[in-house]
Amino acid sequence: MSTETPGVKRRDFLKVIGAGTATATAIGCSSEKVEKLIPYLVSPDETVPGVSTYYATTCRECSAGCGLIAETRDGRTIKLEGNPAHPVNRGALCARGQAALQGLYNPDRFRGPMVRNGSSFKQVTWDEALNIFSQKLGSSRGGAVFINQHESGSFPAFLDGWLASNGMAPHISYDGESDSAAIAANRQSFGVAWPRLDFSSARLIVSFGADFLDSWGAAVPQQLDFADARAKLQGAPRMIYIGPRRSLTGLNADVWIPCNPGSEIAIARLLAGTATVAQAASASGAEPAALTALVKEYQAAKPGMVLAGGSGSRGQELALAVNALNQTAGNVGVTIRPAEALLGFERQASTAEIAALVSRMNSGSVSMLMVRGANPANALPQSAGFAAAMAKVPFKVSFSSVPDETTAVADLILPDHHFLEQWGDAEPVRGTLSLQQPTMDPVFDTRATSDVLIAAANKVRAGSYPADYRTWLTSRFPGGAAGHSSALGKGIAAGSATALAGTARAVPQIAAAPAIAQTRGDFYLMVYPHPVLGSRGANKPWLQELPDPVTKTCWQTVAEMHPKTAAQLGVENGDLVKVETDAGSITVPALLYIGVMPGTIAVAAGRGRRNSGRYASAGANAYDILPAAFDASGGLALVSTRARVSKAGGHAQIVTTEGSSRQHGRGIGKAIYAADLGRSADAHAPAGAQADAGGHAKSNAPPGEENSPGHHTFVGDASHEFLPGLRSPVANDAQGDFGDPKSKEKGMYDPKHWSGMANRRWAMTVDLARCTGCSACVTACYSENNIPTVGADWQGAKVFPDRTGFGANILRSREMAWLRIERYFEGGEDGGADFDTRFVPMLCQHCGNAPCEPVCPVYATYHAPDGLNVQVYNRCVGTRYCSNNCPYKVRYFNWFGYGEPNRPQYAFPEPLNWQLNPDVTVRGKGVMEKCSFCVQRIREAENRAKGEGRDLIPNEFSTACAEACPSRAITFGDAADDRWTVAQLAKDKRAYHVFEELNTFTAVVYLKKVLHNEPASSVTAPVAAPAVGGAH
Amino acid sequence: MRKKWLAVPGFFALAALATIVSAYSAASSSQGNSPVQPIKFPHPIHVQTLKMNCVYCHFAANKSPDPGMPAMSTCMGCHTVAGAQKPEIQKLAAYWNKKEPVPWVRIHKVPEYVHFPHMRHVNAGVSCQTCHGQVQNMAQVQQQESLNMGWCVNCHIGRSNPPLKARYDCATCHY
Repeated sequence: MSTETPGVKRRDFLKVIGAGTATATAIGCSSEKVEKLIPYLVSPDETVPGVSTYYATTCRECSAGCGLIAETRDGRTIKLEGNPAHPVNRGALCARGQAALQGLYNPDRFRGPMVRNGSSFKQVTWDEALNIFSQKLGSSRGGAVFINQHESGSFPAFLDGWLASNGMAPHISYDGESDSAAIAANRQSFGVAWPRLDFSSARLIVSFGADFLDSWGAAVPQQLDFADARAKLQGAPRMIYIGPRRSLTGLNADVWIPCNPGSEIAIARLLAGTATVAQAASASGAEPAALTALVKEYQAAKPGMVLAGGSGSRGQELALAVNALNQTAGNVGVTIRPAEALLGFERQASTAEIAALVSRMNSGSVSMLMVRGANPANALPQSAGFAAAMAKVPFKVSFSSVPDETTAVADLILPDHHFLEQWGDAEPVRGTLSLQQPTMDPVFDTRATSDVLIAAANKVRAGSYPADYRTWLTSRFPGGAAGHSSALGKGIAAGSATALAGTARAVPQIAAAPAIAQTRGDFYLMVYPHPVLGSRGANKPWLQELPDPVTKTCWQTVAEMHPKTAAQLGVENGDLVKVETDAGSITVPALLYIGVMPGTIAVAAGRGRRNSGRYASAGANAYDILPAAFDASGGLALVSTRARVSKAGGHAQIVTTEGSSRQHGRGIGKAIYAADLGRSADAHAPAGAQADAGGHAKSNAPPGEENSPGHHTFVGDASHEFLPGLRSPVANDAQGDFGDPKSKEKGMYDPKHWSGMANRRWAMTVDLARCTGCSACVTACYSENNIPTVGADWQGAKVFPDRTGFGANILRSREMAWLRIERYFEGGEDGGADFDTRFVPMLCQHCGNAPCEPVCPVYATYHAPDGLNVQVYNRCVGTRYCSNNCPYKVRYFNWFGYGEPNRPQYAFPEPLNWQLNPDVTVRGKGVMEKCSFCVQRIREAENRAKGEGRDLIPNEFSTACAEACPSRAITFGDAADDRWTVAQLAKDKRAYHVFEELNTFTAVVYLKKVLHNEPASSVTAPVAAPAVGGAH
Repeated sequence: MRKKWLAVPGFFALAALATIVSAYSAASSSQGNSPVQPIKFPHPIHVQTLKMNCVYCHFAANKSPDPGMPAMSTCMGCHTVAGAQKPEIQKLAAYWNKKEPVPWVRIHKVPEYVHFPHMRHVNAGVSCQTCHGQVQNMAQVQQQESLNMGWCVNCHIGRSNPPLKARYDCATCHY
């Protein structure tokens, strides 16, 4: 029971002020600008304005071929989600897939076809462009080369058929991102390029630099399977990561064995029993004790799974050795499943083929070069001289729809549709076709390359092809055009794509790369593919602004080095260093990271692009310092050289969103040892973190809280009556139906109120045992909630000379990410390799007793009866008191009006603004904003239920972050209704609230990470080892 | 010493100015606004004489947050024949022949930070006229009601006639 203490309440005070100004307000008159209501000419069938239509299609951002559901509103695609029916991604979607929308609406996309005019391009009509194209086709048979982005499905066969009819050689299907060495080895060992990795069946995962959670292979299905495996908690596989740098995958491993770049093969030999620990340790630089433990555990834990990546110049040798290990141990068919292979990686050409093309072009034997969806000029290191060789080709056609290094030297640009604008298909797994259909009309005057090729062929010989590619495609579909149409709804169909003629591609002869130890330099150089940018993400501001999951830097290229290496060089965090190899040099700031082997410098590739758009030039290009060396499979060796590193003088601020990499004992990301899971809650329970096993909602209460009902109340204090669901007090602003503060009524805050709002408690659980820190949720949130990116160089203030350029606003903590992934290290303070990482998705906790609410002088933030901490943008006057008072620092202030088109800081230059979600207000300048628990989705679901005359169905909808999450770590729903999954999970014995001691009664419940600190063989039988503060 | 006496009224003057400016920039109303449309569309003839239902043209009002504007093809469905000789219809036909939509001037508009789901109101029995006025009598549509928040909330808390009630939590409309 609560007793209201008389006193002036915040609202009464405001009413007095309000009365004084009411007369003044009445003088205000309308200044609305004239807006138009533009009707359709003819209304499209089956669409309702203001209601989304959903199209199933296929993602083409990498080779995996995930299924998409594209939400399209009033003719514009506004959100991408994973297709739950799709066998590859099962409803999840990575950050790169989400950001495909920024490829579709990229402001730097070509508006139409263009032809070279001196040093620039001039716009031409499609007719003119097609005439030029077909003329050149006729005159350059034989020596023509077509490079296409690697993709599965029918298009490659269509393209080869078209090339053959023009007397041209089959195309080069190029994917610069996948691991050629692993693919070649898999083909040799198992007959498939990419077997399915069944992490759940394994007891032990040993990864030699195979970053299966970053971008190695098919990231989404691998992450789904890995998270499912780790969710087995006590029965989960343990993971050991061996490599020079702890990548995101490495950070998810239980043990990291650092070794010198390119020396992994020595450790693989150790596991195979053909080398001794001493030999392996001296060859790799790894700790002998760690290697001894590795061998012991590897031999005991069955079944295991050994993976190899890392793209060194001996990559294929390593991958073959690892495959042999799997075969010897009987893992093939158990944890490594060639029978369920992913087909997306079959038949791709190697980078060496592109390199071989350089000499062919230089010798003048290439008469015409056609490039679609690939960017060979940046797929090879600059030292390979692709662009210069391209200049020797008489005629270069680019089908790219965005500017890049290759189109910059092209003669004719015939911009392709974005994949969301065109027809196609993929064959991601055997026997399943993933269909691709346009989700909207083309944004610009582009044309699908398939249709351009058909038009060119029909110009020469009328009727040699059907009218368009769609007709060609559907005529081959089982069931024809009608069958195709009916399959489109689901997005997948049984069937196989038109097969390519011929066998797997031959690898051109390549000179063996010199051993890394023989190259010049004092430090090993490790170039690694950026986990989210990939090769085509640099001009997408969402991906540029998404902090790297490992380093938490954005908009910037850094040289990562171990603190010991930095001390040796005499540099500190942010000091500029010059990294020099025989291929070239770059000057970038140093970033101290304990996850890099001492003596190694790691640089991410993907930034510093040239001629690739307004956002892409941020950072430096790691390919500038990479020699063109290849492994035996023809893959580009990213680890092949040593480098000279020197202090360059000067300092640059590190563009990071991280406050501290340490928890400082705050217990934000908590963990529990696997062995402790089976024990009763009171034994070894870290203070205030565990509920009892019975799982009563009451047990979420912090200690001591139960003893003080109806204790002292004071003005502004929440009533200590509790609402249903997670324990949360009745909001201090709860008032009667007519807003009478003296009323004893609680209005809508009364669970018995007719609206029933207070019967719900929207809540979220985040399972840290599943979360890998991949950050797909962050991009999903940007996409759903119209969050502006702020890091472009023209968006920053120009006042501070050291704080300009890309990321200037981030340096001043002005990023707007409603949801961020905090990454904390535990241990390793001495620079050792034995540290553990906690990834904590941090968003508004929707506190039941929120510190932000009582300090708002204008009632812009308050607690809604259904448990939401609401931010009312139109009430907000920007005092920022709430942000100041938020212990979680999840409130973001819109400093510059990023959503206002006439400001230089505008974050959505046309047509990026086409993506904006019409259900979410685009916030203006001077307004505080934060996670809303996707309130627009709650309202949409409530509206739908009301329209259908029913109640909400448990788990009927979810937030954008939860929908996207490829590790299924996030669950959203109504914690007051036990039928919702979230209500069950919130009672899990691993559940805890961040900063529970503050009595914030948060609606976001975290489930502790599970630490597998004991060797895998003994995990099944938990031993009674003392639990030593895993949480701190 | 004189400064002190200037400061107090000066402060009030500033406060009043700030209030006027803030009132000018937001929360104002276009009540009474009745712009001239590119084509004189007479609601009375369509609704009263021809007995057409509102949702014949505003076809999504009962199933979408957006009421829907009739496509040009809906207009031309009748007006290819009906009244084809009248000057206003000829204007319409001219747009149609050029394949251009009619740029109607928007009258009823709530700010971007307000989400007004038409279907919830229509399906709850709120008549179109409650918010839009007696459109069936308006030769030229005029904004009858203020569409200000207080006007909305009045119904939401059950002070309308007949009394209806709906949630009045801020996040019902503002998000």
